[in-house]
Amino acid sequence: MLTFDSTKSKPTTKPLPLSRLEKSERHLGLLMILPAFLLLFAVVLFPIGRLLVTSTQRLSLTEPWLGTPFVGLDNYREALTDARFWETTLNTVIYIAVTVPGAIVVGLGLALLANQPFKIKWPVRLGLLLPWALPLVFAGLIFRWFFEFNQGIVNNILMWVGLPKLAWLTDPFLATVAICIAIIWKTSSFVALILLAGLQTIPKSLYEAAEIDGASKWQQFIEITLPMLRPAIIVAAIFRTITAIQTFDIPYAMTNGGPGNSTETLAMYIHKTTIDFLDLGYGSALAVLMFVVSLVMTAGYLRYTRRDPRQEA
Amino acid sequence: MAGVEIRQVVKQYGRVEVLHGVDLSVRDGEFVVLVGPSGCGKSTLLRMIAGLEGITGGEIAIDGTVVNDMPPRERDIAMVFQDYALYPHKSVYDNMGFGLRMRGTSKSEIETLVHEAADILQIKHLLERRPGQLSGGQRQRVAMGRAIVRRPKVFLFDEPLSNLDAQLRAEMRVEIKKLHQRFGTTIVYVTHDQIEAMTLADRIAIMKDGHLQQYGTPDEVYNRPANRFVASFIGAPPMNMTPASVSADAQVIRLPSGMDVTPRGANLAACAGRDIVIGLRPEHVALGHDDPSRTPVSGQVELVEPLGSETQATVRVGDARFTGRFSPEAGLKHGQDVTLGLALDRAHFFDAETGEAIRLAA
Repeated sequence: MLTFDSTKSKPTTKPLPLSRLEKSERHLGLLMILPAFLLLFAVVLFPIGRLLVTSTQRLSLTEPWLGTPFVGLDNYREALTDARFWETTLNTVIYIAVTVPGAIVVGLGLALLANQPFKIKWPVRLGLLLPWALPLVFAGLIFRWFFEFNQGIVNNILMWVGLPKLAWLTDPFLATVAICIAIIWKTSSFVALILLAGLQTIPKSLYEAAEIDGASKWQQFIEITLPMLRPAIIVAAIFRTITAIQTFDIPYAMTNGGPGNSTETLAMYIHKTTIDFLDLGYGSALAVLMFVVSLVMTAGYLRYTRRDPRQEA
Repeated sequence: MAGVEIRQVVKQYGRVEVLHGVDLSVRDGEFVVLVGPSGCGKSTLLRMIAGLEGITGGEIAIDGTVVNDMPPRERDIAMVFQDYALYPHKSVYDNMGFGLRMRGTSKSEIETLVHEAADILQIKHLLERRPGQLSGGQRQRVAMGRAIVRRPKVFLFDEPLSNLDAQLRAEMRVEIKKLHQRFGTTIVYVTHDQIEAMTLADRIAIMKDGHLQQYGTPDEVYNRPANRFVASFIGAPPMNMTPASVSADAQVIRLPSGMDVTPRGANLAACAGRDIVIGLRPEHVALGHDDPSRTPVSGQVELVEPLGSETQATVRVGDARFTGRFSPEAGLKHGQDVTLGLALDRAHFFDAETGEAIRLAA
């Protein structure tokens, strides 16, 4: 009987030396990516490296005579015992916990609306894009005016329906609520765009099959739309979370972190430490801590996108 | 089980009318194939039966009940889609059980019915897999499983085999035929493939441009086509069509380029003095002129297509061309002069203007 032993016949593979053509192609390849690498080094790698170095130094521009001594992890130790660091971190977590799901729910509603077979689609799509196109600070200012105590439209409506005026921007809880509303309004259109793209990839025949199978519209939404949108929802949630960690502009424009520090985010605290208090060493350590959290989220996203989204659908 | 009645059904998209008053009666347990070229309205008609398209005019009744305003889920039908429309995020088991679950069937009953259907279609080993992990043929089986598991009144198939390769298509044709024999459920099946139509159907409805051209058994549409379109659509290789004129005494047929032929074995009285189109199936074109019942014509071989068991060859006779199915032993060569024997007694004659069939006296 003829047998075949794969272990015996396995050839020993030795990498062949590169030919001249391959060598020159490799050099050309390296040369081609060099400009991109230099650019990335200048705008990403170098600043991050500098940040890491500064975070291990005592560097306060208000005390220049102290120089920039190396202090190891002292700045990090200080951060972990700093009550304001924890308070602003907690505020940031609250914004993430409220505005990310909020933007997804509102964004999903907007995406479903925009996905309807309207005869004229551009007003819906324009309405969807407008909040996204607006600068963050501008959105913050608009909402500050909305929630203003005396002339704000929100209090006007409350009075119109017979309710008392509320101190939206001076009450710690209400200020957080107002900021969350503004952030959700501003960010849900971005989420809606991602989800709309996801919705448009769901084949119509699945809904037709479900309809014949006896599913109601609500059952079709639960059984087809939501699971098929899962990859888009996860991508939107991760993108939104990464930007929510860095929340700055809207609370800065609406309350500047007040009343007290009740609406201050970690990004605002870093800004105040470095720009207002000129403590670059400590501010850098805070920034590194925030960067690590963002990095973990990004890694999670990259790990997720390595999978085949159609299989995941 | 139930019959389907389609009465004067009209479909309009805006001002464009795509179905112009179609009448079709599908008997209880019958396998009817809607066939026609792209854009003829066959899929639209099927989707109207399913309830996925509204009905502009006319009436559709399933099992005696008019379903014009009834949503798909209340029609008790099942449909197999061209792209299978399997839920990609659900397992094969959940795909098959989905319709039962939506109708409130108990878990244990769903399990019994799904396993029973999976057994019939030999997909029991695939129940835990997702559609993305299946081959085209397996997906097709799952789509059929999803349809049969509910035991609906009517099965609707929308070009279900068009995404499969030739071998799988032939296999699945057999499966579908077996399923029909097993369950005896009424089936309305849409295809553009006339071989599928001929092999599967009890009756074939041939459509063109939103009109029903002919509705009959495979034998009827093949052997007694109602018009030139049906004649050329059904049959592969297609029927030879040759314009001609018949003399006033019906004794001479003048072919293109002025060649006169004296027909043998056919009484052309009904065509006397008319411009006609002669339709002759390739199997009715033979080599040689020994057979006295055949009409001899001379020509030159223009194209030879050897298929192994037979050779198809096109012979140019004046300006006319006749494709025939010949024995490979004949050794036909391109450019060879040959004499063909045309079995004009088996030919079909169509009015040159209207394309309608002219029935000859026996």
